[in-house]
Amino acid sequence: MKSLPYFNKREMRKIAGFEFELTRNITIGQYVPTGSIIHRMDPRIKLAVFTLLVISMAICDTYVGNFLALMFACLLFYISRIPISYGLSGVKPAIPFILLLALLQLLFYSEVASGGEVLLDYGFIHITTDSIRLVIVSALRFIEIIFISSVLTLSTSTTQITHGMESLLRPLRTVKFPVHEFALIITIALRFVPTFALEMEKMMKAQASRGAEFGTGAWWRIVQRTKDVFPIIIPLFNVAMSRAEDLVLAMESRCYVPGRERSVSKKYKPSRTDYAALMFCIAFAIVLLTFPFPY
Amino acid sequence: MTEQPILEVKHLQHIYMKGTPLEHHALAGVSLKINKGECIAVIGHTGSGKSTLIQHVNGLMRPQAGDVVVDGMDLADPKIDIRLLRRKVGLVFQNPEDQIFEKIIGDDIAYGPFKMGLPIKEVRDRVKWAMELVGLSFEEMKDRATYALSGGQKRKVALAGVLALRPDILVLDEPTAGLDPRSRNELLERLKTLNKKENMTIIFVSHNMEEVAYMADRIYVLADGRNLVDGTPEEVFVEAEKLREHYIGTPDTVEILAQLKAKGFAVRQNAYQLEEAANEIIALL
Ligand SMILES: Nc1ncnc2c1ncn2[C@@H]1O[C@H](COP(=O)(O)OP(=O)(O)O)[C@@H](O)[C@H]1O
Ligand SMILES: [Mg+2]
Repeated sequence: MKSLPYFNKREMRKIAGFEFELTRNITIGQYVPTGSIIHRMDPRIKLAVFTLLVISMAICDTYVGNFLALMFACLLFYISRIPISYGLSGVKPAIPFILLLALLQLLFYSEVASGGEVLLDYGFIHITTDSIRLVIVSALRFIEIIFISSVLTLSTSTTQITHGMESLLRPLRTVKFPVHEFALIITIALRFVPTFALEMEKMMKAQASRGAEFGTGAWWRIVQRTKDVFPIIIPLFNVAMSRAEDLVLAMESRCYVPGRERSVSKKYKPSRTDYAALMFCIAFAIVLLTFPFPY
Repeated sequence: MTEQPILEVKHLQHIYMKGTPLEHHALAGVSLKINKGECIAVIGHTGSGKSTLIQHVNGLMRPQAGDVVVDGMDLADPKIDIRLLRRKVGLVFQNPEDQIFEKIIGDDIAYGPFKMGLPIKEVRDRVKWAMELVGLSFEEMKDRATYALSGGQKRKVALAGVLALRPDILVLDEPTAGLDPRSRNELLERLKTLNKKENMTIIFVSHNMEEVAYMADRIYVLADGRNLVDGTPEEVFVEAEKLREHYIGTPDTVEILAQLKAKGFAVRQNAYQLEEAANEIIALL
């Protein structure tokens, strides 16, 4: 047995073979079919519920309310039988951002959240119990919203999302909003996120085989580092263009005509569980928004 | 004295998306032992792990379990000089023409040598050498635009881009896929010359049994991320039944000879090279 010397994180990643595995970190456009109740929900109801929850989470500003919302988001993972590590991997890249935001809010938001006791008053820095609340609640909100968006995208195929969106947005057609085209654009964009991630992975590997190195130059040598990505970006662009052409051909050869009325192959019909879920979430949103939580 | 193999892979395993619900066991214990100067074919059904395997050879992937040793370098050790490794092992991906990014052929081939920090004179020599090897005239082609090339020519440019690193081992993933028959034969001839004249060790992935029969000294057959059979083409093609179970065919010559034998004709079963097989059949007439 070889003894393992000390490795830093980058080296560990290399050993584990994740150095180029970009797709690992991309959960957008990925669908994890576990067949749970949430997966089987009517996508229109799911989208409506999702919107409702996001709005109420964004507005609710109490500790207890946000704690409840976070618990609820975790519960959704449990019900959908998707490992919560998936949600966490969505949170991870946002951590520096959340921290920075928290710091800025802590230092400079005392005007907005000037209520409560003053805890620290030093030069331009005022920290009050309200500004601390703002910091913690914002961070919680962020995580909650990432969690429920993850549940939504992981439990709903892109086709379902766009069908749902299309039928929820249908009323906008009266004001000449191109609902169908809009939905189609979103479908295609989501559909190709993993494809291009794979394509990019392949390109990085191919160029690395020719001696390219990525992200090794010092960060202040911006020109150098920008040049380093040309060998990936340029071919990727070519690939994207030819994929787009292929897609156009494939769609036209299957009789897609822009602007023409199309029928749908699947009609969604909300079931009793869907209505129950909708009712429950409306109730939950009302509680979050109006209940006078003590903290 | 037994020769030290230039590449040794032992019980290699790889799991994609490890630790996620989508994890996939692509390699479940593959072993290879390749000597210097050999021409090796890796075959197997789509999804059998061929591409995953060969990406381990130049350190794009590191062994999650098992060993990969290239010319004395143990890839499980993160401290090895990866740049040196990538110079030793040239890896040509599937559809390598996608990776061309410079406007001018010469510049694109020179990318690798420049990245190695070689002086301009040496870079030029290497580009020339590589271009002549793949059959592109240096004087005529070096200043041509890359976008105006045919598929076969683009593939040659991409191959030259890797050859310009002067690797000891050349690894190619389905090098002839999508080429017209003429470009295909020409490419195979070039590779054979590289193997015989420059004594370059060649490992290539292929689905075309005729080309495997023609090129390879030895064959490794993968199925579901494991070794199925390996050995010289003769040894491997005898296992036609086993191969067929895993959706792998044998060359037409092998099939024809087997059918003749089944009909009661006395033919050599191992005469799988096109000319040998033809001779066997002529002898019957
Ligand atoms: N980047 C990846 N992420 C997840 N799974 C992958 C990835 N690349 C390959 N696989 C899976 O690993 C298996 C082996 O793939 P691969 O080595 O490309 O096979 P081959 O080249 O023999 O066709 C396949 O089932 C494939 O779906
Ligand atoms: Mg492959």
